[in-house]
Amino acid sequence: MQPVSSGPVLPASPSPGSRVTVRIVEETSERLTVRRSIIAPVELARDRGAMVTVWRRGGMGYCASADLSADGLAQAAAVADRWAQTVERHGVFDGLDLRTLPEAAPLPVATAARAEPMPERGALIALLRAESEAMRIDPRIVSWTAQLRLVRRQQSLWVDAIPRSHESVQIVEPNLEATAAEGAVSQTRSLGGQYNGFCRQGGFEVIRASGLVGGGLRVAREALALLDAPECPSGVRDLLLMPDQMMLQIHESIGHPLELDRILGDERNFAGGSFVSLDMFGRYAYGSPLLDVSFDPGVPGELAGYASDDEGEAARKVWLIRGGVLQRPLGGALSRARAAALGMPLEGTANARAVGWHRPAIDRMANLNVEPGGTPFAAMVASVERGVLMRTNVSWSIDDARNKFQFGCEWGQLIEDGRLTTVVRNPGYRGVSATFWRSLAAVGDAASVEVHGTPFCGKGEPGQVVRVGHASPPCLFRGIDVFGGAG
Amino acid sequence: MRTLFDILAEALDAQAGRGELLVATLEAEASEFVRLNHARVRQAGRLERAVARLRLVDGDRQASCAVTLPGLGAGRDAVAAAIADAVLALRAAVADSEPDPLLDVNQAPVVSDDDAPDAPFDRAAFVDAVAQAAGDADLVGFCAAGPVARGFCSSAGSRQWYRRSSVAFDWSIHLPDDAGTRRAVKASWSGSALDVSAIATAIARSRADASVLARPVRRLSPGDYRVLLAPRALGDLLEMFGWGGFSARSQRTGQSPLGRLARGEVSMSPMLSIVEDLDAGFAPAFQSDGYPRPRRVPLIEGGRLVDTLVSPRTAREFGLVSNAAADHESPESMRVAPGALRADEALARLGTGVSVSNLWYLNWSDRAAGRVTGMTRFASLWVEDGEPVGPIEAMRFDDVVHRILGASLEALGDTPLRMPSTDTWDSRATGGLEAPSALVSALRFAL
Repeated sequence: MQPVSSGPVLPASPSPGSRVTVRIVEETSERLTVRRSIIAPVELARDRGAMVTVWRRGGMGYCASADLSADGLAQAAAVADRWAQTVERHGVFDGLDLRTLPEAAPLPVATAARAEPMPERGALIALLRAESEAMRIDPRIVSWTAQLRLVRRQQSLWVDAIPRSHESVQIVEPNLEATAAEGAVSQTRSLGGQYNGFCRQGGFEVIRASGLVGGGLRVAREALALLDAPECPSGVRDLLLMPDQMMLQIHESIGHPLELDRILGDERNFAGGSFVSLDMFGRYAYGSPLLDVSFDPGVPGELAGYASDDEGEAARKVWLIRGGVLQRPLGGALSRARAAALGMPLEGTANARAVGWHRPAIDRMANLNVEPGGTPFAAMVASVERGVLMRTNVSWSIDDARNKFQFGCEWGQLIEDGRLTTVVRNPGYRGVSATFWRSLAAVGDAASVEVHGTPFCGKGEPGQVVRVGHASPPCLFRGIDVFGGAG
Repeated sequence: MRTLFDILAEALDAQAGRGELLVATLEAEASEFVRLNHARVRQAGRLERAVARLRLVDGDRQASCAVTLPGLGAGRDAVAAAIADAVLALRAAVADSEPDPLLDVNQAPVVSDDDAPDAPFDRAAFVDAVAQAAGDADLVGFCAAGPVARGFCSSAGSRQWYRRSSVAFDWSIHLPDDAGTRRAVKASWSGSALDVSAIATAIARSRADASVLARPVRRLSPGDYRVLLAPRALGDLLEMFGWGGFSARSQRTGQSPLGRLARGEVSMSPMLSIVEDLDAGFAPAFQSDGYPRPRRVPLIEGGRLVDTLVSPRTAREFGLVSNAAADHESPESMRVAPGALRADEALARLGTGVSVSNLWYLNWSDRAAGRVTGMTRFASLWVEDGEPVGPIEAMRFDDVVHRILGASLEALGDTPLRMPSTDTWDSRATGGLEAPSALVSALRFAL
């Protein structure tokens, strides 16, 4: 695909005094899969288009099109302007001048981190086939898949035809998955979760870090171990969550409730609202004093790192929760302006993001991390008399205010009298966000931090599935309602 | 859109080399999107997008490439250039591939045409009508309008076409929180063309429905409760069967939540029958391998699993007979047979329990056992002796589908509700389902 972002003929503002922004996104991807020892057809994708937004005083409208010709972009701007005029009459933007929001001065061009070169396609297929074959260790392994997805994405933003920002990233999503089944019992084990919990920016170093190379045998053995394991017991126990489950816990019960557009009510018809309200920032005890949560777009390799968000706000590390106290929401410039117009000026984050050119930006998570504490993993285990360690998310559900949750993991292991003992299957736990984080009793040290994420964070009308990153150490929670499987 | 489809088909004909077969599915939309908060517009705009999913078959090897076409109005040269670029990449990918023993694409030249006329969408009329009908109500909603098309074409002469134009408006009316508990009623309206009068009437009805939410909120303890699942709530539950439940591949690889049903270890209620029925009109009658789909595939009859959805690829892998399911093997046009429960008798039959309007955020909590968890949402009401008392605080359920729709299923409603899909994840979805209400003697609330 020939790059176009160097020279599109950008549209002028269709109405005097309005501003026009153009965001062009180009993404190519490739998925390689070996399923049950058969090499699946290579899946390629090439996508390119423009989001044109017109900002009038009291309203904004957009038009997204893949016609990047001068006429195509000009027509898109005209359509966007007509929508902006309609919104001006019935918009939610009382007291705001939206034209002041997009900043036009160019930002420094972000330089992509160095990445190890990716081997040729044939070598990658051979690697996946080798791991696929390594999973065939027992007739009870009924499904085994090795998969790799590579994405290259470039994005450029112009404000009134002035280049504002440019981002270029490469994303790697490796996975292995083995299902063991016998009779009515079936258990699946994966590399980082069945929905690509191990996913990062970078090159071949991501594949090595994922454990894919040589991981097939381990994944299959663990699936078989789960098949033979007892169900996780039910009752109140201490809970030690490993980073590939902390990823989901952070995502659902810190990330989503802190999204400012949810707090402002935009998502109440679909993704839901939040138990967090505007007046909680700066004073609400979200968790125990051990809880420090950052929005950090600069962690090397983390999936949602960027220099500026999709509306051109420069991104930097900020604290969302410090010492357990809620500091600020996940709110981009527009949401912050709306909150301020309601009398609640808040500091936020550069997190106005869109899945691609075909969707407008809304408040999203990016890299949202629990910062390390000071407790080594072994010390956390030693401090538990009766508990369960859980790793690798497999099931997730939470209410529309992001409070009552129930999560399940692939792998559980009992902790008894300070020692890891029996492996258990179908481990799950329930809780309420507003109280769960206050039971945080220990946070793993820096050596135990792992960087995970998900390519599949869904939200918005129209729907958008975006990439987010979550880094965390293991964390210990006291007195949690845990349970196992079956009816 | 039809012109673009014809141009795409011509490009396949022109660029398929000797011994090559080029096929493509086209997904196209010209959509107007409006989201509202507090009955006012939060975000609005238009999307024009067409994605061609190409597949190059060369002997017994193949590869695929999804290409965004350069605009709905793209001409021959622009489309040909995009396809030529993709074909080059596909030839390289095929060269890196091995023979695919599961390759199966229909090489017969199938021609079909299922086209519905486009209908204009008056942006200002829609926004004005909603603002006026909502008045001072806290309406939050989303409208997606315009044509959606699907096509399948091949260099072997296939030309299969499907297009629908629709206006789908989905909204909720919210009351102020009661001590942290959300109170809202959900509603929707859809049609082939904008009808502002009908939308205004539907909004007025939902405002009236919201009045019961003003009563004090009831907080329930965990335990088993009698529930009346409204059609949307039953639909939310049944949509989980699309997550591997009816998939032949999932059944064969130990990953289906209906595995116990398939093996005959459990059964559901004799009242329950589910058919994948294209005559419901939700989805096109072809799939991405170019095969025409059967009009009806019975899936559950009398509480027993009688068939699964089998894609051509799965059929080859496991030696089954294909029923031309899509590769994801999920239902796209599901119909649940109605029962005898009349709507005006449903609350009386419930007696004391919970009337559930919507379920939310469902997931399998033990997939192999068919155990599912999720939340009640929107206007779910506590009912005593057949009379609504007031809204409940959202409750988490965690129960087994074979029990909910098996021994616990007391009755199905006599009036199914048509529910076209309103999904817009990557593109506006086709598909939908038709289901009645369900009276369930015990649903296990866990939190």
